[in-house]
Amino acid sequence: MYRDMGLVNTPPLSAQDDAALLALVKRGDEQAMATLFDRYSKVVYSVALRVLRDPTSAEDILQEVFMQVWRSPDGFVSSRGSLGGWLAVVARNRSIDALRRKKPMDQVEEMALAAPFNLANEAERNNMMERARGIIVKLPGEQRKTLEMAFFDGLTHSEIAEMTGEPLGTVKTRIRSALTTLRKAFQA
Amino acid sequence: MNGTRHIERDDLALFAMQLLPKDEHALIAAHVALCAECGQALAEVQGDLAVYAHTVDLHSPPAQARERLMKQVAREKKAVPVERVPTPPPPLEFATPGERPYRTGLGSGAYLSEDEEPKRNLAAKVFPWVGWAVAAAIAVVAGNLYHERDVLHGKMTAMAGQMDRVSSDAAAAKQMMEAMTDPAAKHVTMTMSPTAPVPPVPQGRVTYVAERGALIFLGSNMEPLQAYKTYELWLIPADGRDPIPAGTFHPDERGNASVIMPPMPKGIEAKAFGVTVEDEGGSQTPTMPIIMAGS
Repeated sequence: MYRDMGLVNTPPLSAQDDAALLALVKRGDEQAMATLFDRYSKVVYSVALRVLRDPTSAEDILQEVFMQVWRSPDGFVSSRGSLGGWLAVVARNRSIDALRRKKPMDQVEEMALAAPFNLANEAERNNMMERARGIIVKLPGEQRKTLEMAFFDGLTHSEIAEMTGEPLGTVKTRIRSALTTLRKAFQA
Repeated sequence: MNGTRHIERDDLALFAMQLLPKDEHALIAAHVALCAECGQALAEVQGDLAVYAHTVDLHSPPAQARERLMKQVAREKKAVPVERVPTPPPPLEFATPGERPYRTGLGSGAYLSEDEEPKRNLAAKVFPWVGWAVAAAIAVVAGNLYHERDVLHGKMTAMAGQMDRVSSDAAAAKQMMEAMTDPAAKHVTMTMSPTAPVPPVPQGRVTYVAERGALIFLGSNMEPLQAYKTYELWLIPADGRDPIPAGTFHPDERGNASVIMPPMPKGIEAKAFGVTVEDEGGSQTPTMPIIMAGS
C-alpha cells in the first residue's frame, strides 16, 4: 500500500537521524535524549492532553513515554516505522490506560506501524498534520465522531454503540471507513 | 479469526486501539503473531492511527517538563555498553512477499524474547523504587544513629563532669591524708596569748607539709567576728620572708573553723603560723595584732 507510494524501501535521512539519536540514547547520551524530546514532546503531550484533558496527567504521560525511550531505546527500531508515529500512538495508549486506571494491555512499544512519513523533519511533519486534519474535517460527521470517540476517548465499540444508539456493526464500519479514507487520501 | 481465516479490518482497528475484550484481544494477538498478511494489515492500521493522532490540536508542554525529564534522565544514568558499536539502522522494510515482518506486531511480544521482556520491565519498574526504599531506610537508620549519638554524647559529657569532680575530690582527700600522715609534717598547737581572757580557750591546730605546700588548719573555740571581718591564717617563712597568707575562715556557731589545703607555694619551710583578724576578703599583709600564733 504505502510501498505503492515509492517510499517503503527508501528511509528518509531524518529517519536516520532518529535512529542515530536512539543509538546515542542507548549509549547514555543525555543530549540526544533532549533532542528527541524537543522534536516530539509537543505531539506526545498534545495527544495525552486530548485524551486525559488534564495538563498534569498529560505531563506525567509525557514523562513516562520519554523515560520509556530512555530506559529501553531498543523498544523502538526503525524497521517498525516512524519514531514520531510510534510515540504518538504509545502516548495515546498510555493515556487510555491511565484513563481506565489499568495496567497496559500490551507491550505497546512492540507494535509496528506502516507510516512512511518523515516525522523527524518538522516541515514534513507539519505538512502531514495539515493534510490529515484536512482529510478528517471532510469525513462524514458520524465517522469523524466515532473515530474520535474510539481513539481519543478510548470508548469501546459497544460503549459507542450504546451512546449513539447505532448497531455494533455500524460503529465498527465507521471506524474502519474513517481510517481507510485517511489512508487513501494520503495515497492520492 | 483462526489459522485459516484472516482477521477483519474492522476488528484489527479495534485491536490496534486496544478496545476489544481481553479474550478476543488475546485471540487476535495470537493470530497476528503467526499471520504475515494480518500482521501487515495491522501495521497499516497502526500507521493510520499514528497519522490520525497527529490531527490533534497541538499544545506545548509546560516549560518545566523538559527540565523534569532531563533530571530524571540524569538520575538514571546509563552504563555505556563498551562492547557495542552503534550500527546504522536497517532500512524500512514493509512487507516483502514471503517474509513476515509484522507477525510480531502489537501484543505478540515476539520482537523481544517473551521470557526476557517482562523481567526487564519489572526490573525497570522495581529498581528505582528499590533505590528510594534503600535511601529511605538509610535515612531512618542515620536519623536513629544521630539521635543515639546525641544521647550518648550527653551522657558521656555528664559522666566526664562527674568523673572530674570525683577525681578532684579524691585527689584532695588523698593529699589531705598524706599531709596528715606524713612523718615530716609539723604539728603546731596554738593557744590564746596569756593576756587573753580565760576559757574557753580558742585553739588552732596546723598540719603542714612544706615540700608539697599542703596545709590543714583546724580551729576550735573561735570567737565570732563582726560581719565585715574575717580570720586569716599566715605562714611565717623560716627564711625571713614576709608572711604568706594561708587562707581566710569564719568559725561556725560552735566556734569551730578549718582551712583545708589552701593554695600554697611548695617548698616553703615554716617558722611559725599565726592568725589575724582582717577585713572581709582577706589581706596580703597581716594586720596586727596576731591573735593566735604557734611554731
